[in-house]
Amino acid sequence: MNFLKFSLSLIISSYSILCFSQSADSVRVEKKSSNLSMSYNSSIVYPGVRVGVELPVQTISITKTKKSGKTKDFVEDRFVTANLSWYHHPSFHDNSYLTVGWTMRRTKQSGFVTEFSPEIGLSRTFLGGTTYKVDDSGNVTIKKEAGYYYALVSVGGGIGYDFSKKKHKPLLIFSKCNVFMMFPYNSTIYLRPAIELGLVYKPQNFLCMKVKSKHRNR
Amino acid sequence: MKNLFPIMLSFFVLISCQKEKISIGTNISDTFYLDNAGASMRLLVEGNTASKTFLIFVHGGPGSSSYFYNTDYISQNIENKYAVVYWDQRDAGGSQGNSNGDNLNLPQMTDDLKKVIELVKYRYGQDIGVFILGHSFGGLLTASFMTQGNNQSMVKGWIFTDGSHNYPLNDTLTRQMLLTVGQQQIDQKKNVDSWTTIVDYCIAHPGNFTFEESTQLGIYAADAETYFKKVKKINLQTMINENPTKNLWPVTAILLNLRYSSNAGFNRDLAKTEFSSKLGVVTTPTLLLYGKYDFTCPGGLEEDVFKRISSTDKKLAVSSISGHDLMLQDETFFCNEVDAFIEKHK
Repeated sequence: MNFLKFSLSLIISSYSILCFSQSADSVRVEKKSSNLSMSYNSSIVYPGVRVGVELPVQTISITKTKKSGKTKDFVEDRFVTANLSWYHHPSFHDNSYLTVGWTMRRTKQSGFVTEFSPEIGLSRTFLGGTTYKVDDSGNVTIKKEAGYYYALVSVGGGIGYDFSKKKHKPLLIFSKCNVFMMFPYNSTIYLRPAIELGLVYKPQNFLCMKVKSKHRNR
Repeated sequence: MKNLFPIMLSFFVLISCQKEKISIGTNISDTFYLDNAGASMRLLVEGNTASKTFLIFVHGGPGSSSYFYNTDYISQNIENKYAVVYWDQRDAGGSQGNSNGDNLNLPQMTDDLKKVIELVKYRYGQDIGVFILGHSFGGLLTASFMTQGNNQSMVKGWIFTDGSHNYPLNDTLTRQMLLTVGQQQIDQKKNVDSWTTIVDYCIAHPGNFTFEESTQLGIYAADAETYFKKVKKINLQTMINENPTKNLWPVTAILLNLRYSSNAGFNRDLAKTEFSSKLGVVTTPTLLLYGKYDFTCPGGLEEDVFKRISSTDKKLAVSSISGHDLMLQDETFFCNEVDAFIEKHK
């Protein structure tokens, strides 16, 4: 848990530094509900699931005025996320990993969403078969819950559609490509791509957070 | 939140596949792991376990993988008669661990091999017959195993395929072969530019090879066999393209393990390692196979083993169309020779 606290405070303090360097037209503090997410977390062909929570930190509504005078509105949300993921690679390993991350999501008026999220966390693998130990006298024993802990770093980007914009439904669907790195893996690193297909549920009143809401003209 | 992680972990443990499964049959597939000195090494047993005859592949590299040997042809022509054990050595293929690089050395890997055999016997019965097959670096590892203590009593036969049991001799033979064949090819005006580069290098580096020279000779040797049309081209790309998902390959682990092990410091120690002087203790039936176009581990190595071992039952055979990967480049020859050898000694 100390690791989680440390990671969260690191992300939040980094965010605070960024905040001071920005100039906004109007700033207000509002209460905003957190989101819940769930996705199919496939490592190319090996299945998995991922569940998480998105804690809102900041919302910036941006109005961009083009040279022609036309305006374009979009919203940039920032979340601190916590996710628990798992995938199953038969005969290799099952991997469950807990991560905290920083999600940057941009939503257009049309509901089209793009997002990027770096994450850090802890992975625990379970080997994909019975694991034995053989001592120097040749005696064999079974090692229970065989597997390893690894540090994990992940980056991912994706697209989606936010149904709350036009259809007033508290749902967002998304598809995301992640690449994660685990270490120390056999004294080196382990890289693995993962594809997510999922849903974000935006309840009205769940883990409400005080969020800085800004409006900015560009 | 505090309780969530352990609860989820327990759930995943429950559904993961760590329950012991030992299959006896004619077409089985069992995966299990050996945990030894910081590494969990993957073992896949496929084929006919009911035969009570097991062939253990000891792959090359260091850092290659046994996944590469698990071809349809071997499944149909070896696994139908015997059980084949595809063992991924430490820091190779599907083997896993944390910071275990300090244990990546030949004595530790020799101990790993001994424990692999003990484990296979524990699972499938002390009465099974075990054969070991060393390919390339696996030749050095099996030579280390066979010449240590009473290890050879654990196996019924030793198969040495395109292997190397003596790295300094290997370098000398590779240089000699590159020089001789290269000159012939230049005279026949075949791949003149490539061969000229190789021949010039060999002339400029006559012996007492440094590690870097040895590595460069290895690169030229791998290139050289590709200049002969009759030799089937085998590389990482062609092997990975052969439907890795069918065999559940952990492709990134295979590649990253290979990158780590092939660059690891212990390769410098291997460059000075030889077992020629110890081979006299070997009395186990031995089959030696090599490809005529193998520049990486030239046939002179098999001839050296053949000459030095004390086994009365030994055979040396050469494939006329193969390079360094005989079991993939001349599958019929390989399976016929291995089958006949095992049939005779099982």
